[in-house]
Amino acid sequence: MEVRHLLSALWRSRTGPCLIAVQIAITLAVLVNVTYLIALRVDTYSQPTGMDIDNVFWIHSQSFTSDYDQKNAVASDLQWLNSLPGVTAAAAATSPPQSHWGFNMPFSASPDPNAPKENARIFAMTARGLDALGAKLTAGRAYSAESVGSPAADIGAAVAQWAPEVVITQALAERLFPKGNALGKTLYMGLVNKSAKIVGIIGTLQAVPIYGPFARFSNQVVVAPMMPPGPTTIYLVRTKPGRQSEVMARVEQEFADRVPGRYIARTEPLARTSSDARNGMRASSIILGAVTLLVLCVSAIGICGLAVFNVTTRTRQIGTRRAIGAQRWHILRYFLVENWLVTTGGVVVGCILALTAGVIISHTTQAPRLPLYYLVGGVLLVWTLGLLSVLVPARRAAEISPAVATRTV
Amino acid sequence: MMLKHDLLLALLSFKRNPVLTVLMVSAIAAGIGSAMVTITLYHARAGHPIWWKEDRLFAVALDNRGSDHTNENLMRHPEYPPDQLTFRDAEALYRSDIPEHSVMMYRSGRVVDPGRGGLRPFGALVRVTTADFFPMFDVPLLYGAGWDRPADTSPEPVIVIGKHLNDKLFNGANSVGRTVNLNGREFRVIGVVNDWMPRPKFYDLTSGGAFDISEDIYMPFGWATALKMESYGSINCVTPNAKIGAFEDIINTDCDMVQFWVEIPSAARLRQYRQFVDNYTTDQRQHGRFVRPTNNRVVDVPTWLEMHDVIGDDSRIEVVLALVFLAVCILNTLGLMLAKFLGAAPITGLRRALGASRKQIIRQHLIEVMVVGMTGGLVGLALAWMGLWAIRVMTYIPGPDDSPDKRALAEALSHMDHRMIVFAVGISLVTGVLAGIYPAWRIGKAAPARFLKAQ
Repeated sequence: MEVRHLLSALWRSRTGPCLIAVQIAITLAVLVNVTYLIALRVDTYSQPTGMDIDNVFWIHSQSFTSDYDQKNAVASDLQWLNSLPGVTAAAAATSPPQSHWGFNMPFSASPDPNAPKENARIFAMTARGLDALGAKLTAGRAYSAESVGSPAADIGAAVAQWAPEVVITQALAERLFPKGNALGKTLYMGLVNKSAKIVGIIGTLQAVPIYGPFARFSNQVVVAPMMPPGPTTIYLVRTKPGRQSEVMARVEQEFADRVPGRYIARTEPLARTSSDARNGMRASSIILGAVTLLVLCVSAIGICGLAVFNVTTRTRQIGTRRAIGAQRWHILRYFLVENWLVTTGGVVVGCILALTAGVIISHTTQAPRLPLYYLVGGVLLVWTLGLLSVLVPARRAAEISPAVATRTV
Repeated sequence: MMLKHDLLLALLSFKRNPVLTVLMVSAIAAGIGSAMVTITLYHARAGHPIWWKEDRLFAVALDNRGSDHTNENLMRHPEYPPDQLTFRDAEALYRSDIPEHSVMMYRSGRVVDPGRGGLRPFGALVRVTTADFFPMFDVPLLYGAGWDRPADTSPEPVIVIGKHLNDKLFNGANSVGRTVNLNGREFRVIGVVNDWMPRPKFYDLTSGGAFDISEDIYMPFGWATALKMESYGSINCVTPNAKIGAFEDIINTDCDMVQFWVEIPSAARLRQYRQFVDNYTTDQRQHGRFVRPTNNRVVDVPTWLEMHDVIGDDSRIEVVLALVFLAVCILNTLGLMLAKFLGAAPITGLRRALGASRKQIIRQHLIEVMVVGMTGGLVGLALAWMGLWAIRVMTYIPGPDDSPDKRALAEALSHMDHRMIVFAVGISLVTGVLAGIYPAWRIGKAAPARFLKAQ
């Protein structure tokens, strides 16, 4: 084929093709790196929360009188909530799941104060708490109702009181007991000088949102039996599928006035809490995705525009070629190959650019390095995009009649 | 006169290639639109909330962590000391008279009982703070004033309330002298803060993140211990001998929960103060505290915001991406423009032959590009406005009893102010010049004969 002629023709009017090649290089670098960044985000925020997210809602009750009887109030509230038709289980906790309220503390596998410690989130609830969240045990059992105890003076005192048994997440179990035998072992909490037996393991429980300063605690959780000391009490209510709004409506009508001396600060479905916590991440993914799509569109427009221009200015030459015997597909092939050469030039530069950008991004954001198959996929996509954008102008060129050559002379 | 002629020629040229022109305008609009969206978001996060005195205000951080380095490898900056102080360190530093003003504070909460029909009791965020808070941070007061230092130590039952709470409780009237019932105790209003929501909320980045609404109530610091007010922010117990327990345990051991700020007017006094802080921690070492090498920070507002990476990677990546995209759009327009000019070269050749100078040709083409650039810029501004609106809808879903401040905050974080609009016009001019100068020069340079020959 006439690649040599083609190259020399390209070289004679090089500005346009060079611009296109640079655009393609940048497009490839953007496409590959941003797709990877988005994939990382989507991967993070679509991780399961470990809870029955669509069927749980929570009620934030805040007491404000000095004679408020926390113990009886919680007992009576829970009895009422558990008796409502449509409710699977209800429990009281010190903070809502998927929120930043609460405690992170260091735990270790040994009473030795110098033993390695692992920070974990404490998620404290009354009996049936795991049920109320829909968290699934992978080993062992839930903590017993007896381990819950009675309300302490404040949250600090409640943590200091510490229960004799706890349930922990798989992720924490693996870090503290790398040999994988956490069940039945003792968990030490140096700060309050207490220990507890690990009676159960749950797969995952995102007590903290997966995004933000405490993201790493989202899967390192100690579920501790605890009676919330007040003034803040969070009631977790899990309903049968499809009955949440009905139960919430009833709660909103009747719950506040059941016990005097407190107010209901908020009643919210867990799905909303969790979605709010992911908003920033989702918005950022959408912005990045939208801009990348625009980059692709604009590049395609550029390739197409240049091809249209080339076809218009070369109409006479094309006519001449057709007149001296070139077939339609020769013309088509000429434009496709020309475009492919330009695209490939851009792709080569783009690969270098993409890898450099990848290194810089992973260095500054501490994200894992760009996997090479993203680059391979990007190259294939850019090639396809290039061919598709030139196809319409090239076919128009092929339609040019040989007579054109004679007409304008 | 010439300009009018050039504009007319530009319009004629657009009419000749309407598709190409629309393509160029939309490329520039998309580029400028996305750049404006991301730069607006970045600009809102990179604010200087107290620019007029940001180099006089200093946050104080002491490294009171124990020797255990567990989990520090996961922190982005393990070398930074914790960003809050313990109660006792804050109270010790507060006694120094080197700074002009000192403030110690944290976020807590109370229940407001309006005590009249219609309004149920509701929760309010409380900033427990010291007297200097108001003069030091230039808090704008609608009515009344803050309190004096003596009111902190043996706490007086006085509060300063926010505008929103004043609207809710007193219908916006001057409420100085009226009382508010907080958890069953009466507090007298002595001041009302006007709209005040520094972004970022530089003076407390820990309680609700860097962008959060201001508290509803400000209360003398002495009430913290008198009423055992629990922290609604973060408590970080940093040594193995910290004792978690009742309120007294937390405030008497190495649990960091108090934000500490000072105002120091001169470099000499700043040096003196830094020395004082280091001496204090060295002194404490005799009591078995501050086991790590001295690592205290007394840093101004910009440094503090940078240490906490208030802007964040997301914003930065978005801006870089949008600028790269804008570059692609410029290249694209450059290519299309070149194609268009060369396509119309016979006409240009004719004009040259009829006596138009090279300068006139270049100018005429540049003006044509500028018109494309400005039109793209205007469309881009409209696109940016829609994009920001979409982002606001995506990131802020109003809850049933959200404070109006929350909406205001969401709006402020995606608001395109007049400066940004001027900036957008600037970018579109630069875009036009960048995309047009080479094609215009190229077409102006060409010898007229070459194009005329082809006719």
